[in-house]
Amino acid sequence: MRRTIPLVITFLIGLYPIFAFFVPHGSISGANDWLDSALVIVAAFALPLGTVNVVMTNTTKLKRKSRGWQYSIVLLAGLTVMAFYGLVGGTGVHPSFQWMFVNMVSPLQATMFALLSFYVASAAYRAFRARNVEATILLIAAIIVMMGRIPFGDMMTRGMMTPLSEWIMSIPNAAAQRGIIIGAALGAASMSIRIILGIETTYLGTGKD
Amino acid sequence: MVSIGVWINAFLTLCILSFLYKDNPFFRFAESLFAGMSLGYYIGLANQQTLMPNLFMPLFRDFSGSVVLLIPMALGILLYFRYIPRIAWMARLALAVYIGYYIGVMFLQKLHGEVLPQSRDTILQLRGIAGIDVLWNAVFIAGVISVLLYFYFSAEHKGVLGKVSRVGIWFLMISFGASFGYTIMARISLLMGRFSFLVNDWIRPLMGAS
Amino acid sequence: MNARKLLYVDRRVIYLLVAIGALVPIIRPIGLPTVPTKPVQQLFNKIESLGPDDTVIISFDYGPSSEPELNPMAQSILRHCFQRRVKVLVMALFPLGGVNMAIDQLQAVADEFDDINYGVDFVNLGYKDGAQAAMKRMDISIESLFPADVNGDPTKDMPIMAHARNYDDIAVVISLATGIIGEYWVNLVNAQFGVPVAVGCTAVSAPKYYAYLRAGQMMSLLGGLKGGSEYEKLLVDKYEFARELYEQPEIKITSAMAGMDVQSIVHVIIIVFIIFGNTMYFIMKRQEKAR
Repeated sequence: MRRTIPLVITFLIGLYPIFAFFVPHGSISGANDWLDSALVIVAAFALPLGTVNVVMTNTTKLKRKSRGWQYSIVLLAGLTVMAFYGLVGGTGVHPSFQWMFVNMVSPLQATMFALLSFYVASAAYRAFRARNVEATILLIAAIIVMMGRIPFGDMMTRGMMTPLSEWIMSIPNAAAQRGIIIGAALGAASMSIRIILGIETTYLGTGKD
Repeated sequence: MVSIGVWINAFLTLCILSFLYKDNPFFRFAESLFAGMSLGYYIGLANQQTLMPNLFMPLFRDFSGSVVLLIPMALGILLYFRYIPRIAWMARLALAVYIGYYIGVMFLQKLHGEVLPQSRDTILQLRGIAGIDVLWNAVFIAGVISVLLYFYFSAEHKGVLGKVSRVGIWFLMISFGASFGYTIMARISLLMGRFSFLVNDWIRPLMGAS
Repeated sequence: MNARKLLYVDRRVIYLLVAIGALVPIIRPIGLPTVPTKPVQQLFNKIESLGPDDTVIISFDYGPSSEPELNPMAQSILRHCFQRRVKVLVMALFPLGGVNMAIDQLQAVADEFDDINYGVDFVNLGYKDGAQAAMKRMDISIESLFPADVNGDPTKDMPIMAHARNYDDIAVVISLATGIIGEYWVNLVNAQFGVPVAVGCTAVSAPKYYAYLRAGQMMSLLGGLKGGSEYEKLLVDKYEFARELYEQPEIKITSAMAGMDVQSIVHVIIIVFIIFGNTMYFIMKRQEKAR
C-alpha cells in the first residue's frame, strides 16, 4: 500500500499535464493551472531538502571529533548566518543577505569555477593529442573555433576565421547537437513513460514497505 | 579606501586560488564556508522569494480565501518526513506528486519541444533554397542522420551502418572540438572576472591608483 | 632536446603562463576590434523594432559561476531596452544567485537613465522556484506568479503590470542562462506558447543552442563573452550615449569588449600549448622509436 498509492498518484499527476495539453478545455486546464501554482510552492520546499542531510552529517562529524571537524564548524556557521538573514528578510532581500552574497558566496563560487581555466590549459598541453583521425578532427575544429572567437584570429587571416567558425557551429556542430538532442529527448520521453506507468520506481527509494 | 567587503572578497578569492599550488587549510576553510553559505542561501531564497509572497502572505491576509494553499504546503512539509524513519514512507506521497508533475511536463518538453521541431526542421532543410546552401543543408542532414545512427545500438555497427556511424563520429568530433573551444572561452572569462576584481577593485585602490 | 621532459613540465609552470596571459591585458588593455555576427544582430534588430508600448522579459538564469560572461551582456541589453523605452520585466528562475545578479545589474544600469521609473518602465520581480511550473503559470497571469516584487512590494498596483498580463503581452523573452533554464524557455515557453525567445548563454552551452537556433526555436543567440562584446559593439556603433558610456574607465574595464583582450591572449597561449604539446609528443614518439 505504501508503494502502490504513490505509484497511482504519480500515474494520475504525470498524465494530467499531458492530457491538459491535448484537451485545452476550461474545466481541465483550470486544474492544470492550479497544479502549476501548487508546484511552485512544493518546489520551494524541495529546494533546501538536502540541507537536512548535510546538517546531520556535519553534526555527527562534530560530535565524534572526526578528521577535519573544524571545517564542519565553518560549514554550519556559514549555513546558519546565511539562513538567518534569509529568514529575517520577510518578503524582500535583506541587505545583509545581499552583502554576504556579493562579498562571500559570489567570489567563492566564481573562483572555484575559475580554477578550471588552469586545468583546461594544462589538459590542452598534456592530453590534447592528434593520436588518430578522430582526435585530429577534434583538434582542428577546436583550433578553428578558438581562432574564430578572438579578434586575433581574424587579424591573422584577413577576416576568414569568424565566418569559418560560424559555419562549423551552424552546420556540422548543429547537426551533431541535433542528433544528440533528438536521441536524448527520445530517451528522456521513454523514461517518463516508464515512471508514469510505474515500471521505473527507483525514485521511491529501496525500502520494502 | 578599500571596504571590508572587498577585503573579504579578495581574501576568499586568494584562499580558493591557493589550491593551484597545493591543497591547504585556507582552501579547505573557503570550501566549507562556500558549501555552508550556499545551503543557507537556498533556505533564505526559498523563504523570501517564493514561500512568503506565494504562500504565507496570502494565508495571513485572507486565510479562508487561500485555504487551498494548505495542500501544497502540506505536500512540501511531507517531503521532510523522509528524515523521520517511522513515518518516512509518507514523504513518498509528496514525492509522487512532485515527480509525477515534472515527469509529465518533461515528457511534453522533450517530444513536443525538441523531437518534433528538430525533426521537422531537418526534413524541411532542402525546401526553397538555392546555391551553396543546398550543399550545406545536405551536409547538415547527413550529419543528423549519421549521428542518430551512431547512437542506434540495436544492431551491430558493421557494413553500411558501420560506415555511416563512422561519419557520425566525425560530426561528433567536430562538435566536441567546437565545444572545447567554447569551454576555453567560458573558463577564461571566469578567471578574467576574478583577476579583474583583484586588480581593479582591490590592488589599484589600495595603491591609490584610479 | 629531451621532448619527454618538456612534455611533462610541472603543471604550475602552465598555470603561471595562463595567469600572466590573463593579467597583462587587464593591467594594460589592448583594444582589439570586434565583428558582430548574425545571431547577435538578430536580437539587436528585434529590440530596435520595439518601443514604449512593448514589454520584454529579461530572465537572470545565471549565478556567480558565469557572472563575468553574462553581466556585460545583461548590462548592454538593459541599456538598449531603456534607451528605446521598452518596458522591462526582470526576473530570475536560477536558484543560486540569479536574483542577486538581477539586483546588481539593474542597480548598475537603471541609474544611468533619468527618465525611467521603477514600476512604470521596469520592475524586478525577483526569483521564483519551480522553473517549468513558474513558466507555465506565467501564461495565465504573470502577476499571480509574482504577487510581490523582489523587495516584497505588491506588484498589483504597478502600472507596468498592465502591459504584462501574460505571454500575449511579451514581445520577446531574453534568458541569460548558465544551465538548463535557458533550454526550458525554448522547449517549453517557445514551443507551447509561441513567445519569441533569445538566449544569452555561457560559452560552454552555446554549441547546443545552435541546433535550436537553426530550427527557428530561438530568434537569437549570444554565446559567451564574445556574444556580449558583439552586442556592445552594435550598441556603441548605433548610439552616441553608449559610445560615451563605454569610454568611461569604470565601465570600460568591465565591458565584454575589454574582456576580449584577455580572451585573445590566453586563447593564443592555449593554441600554442596545443601545437607545442603535439610537436613534442611526435618528437618523443620518434625518439623512443629510434631507441
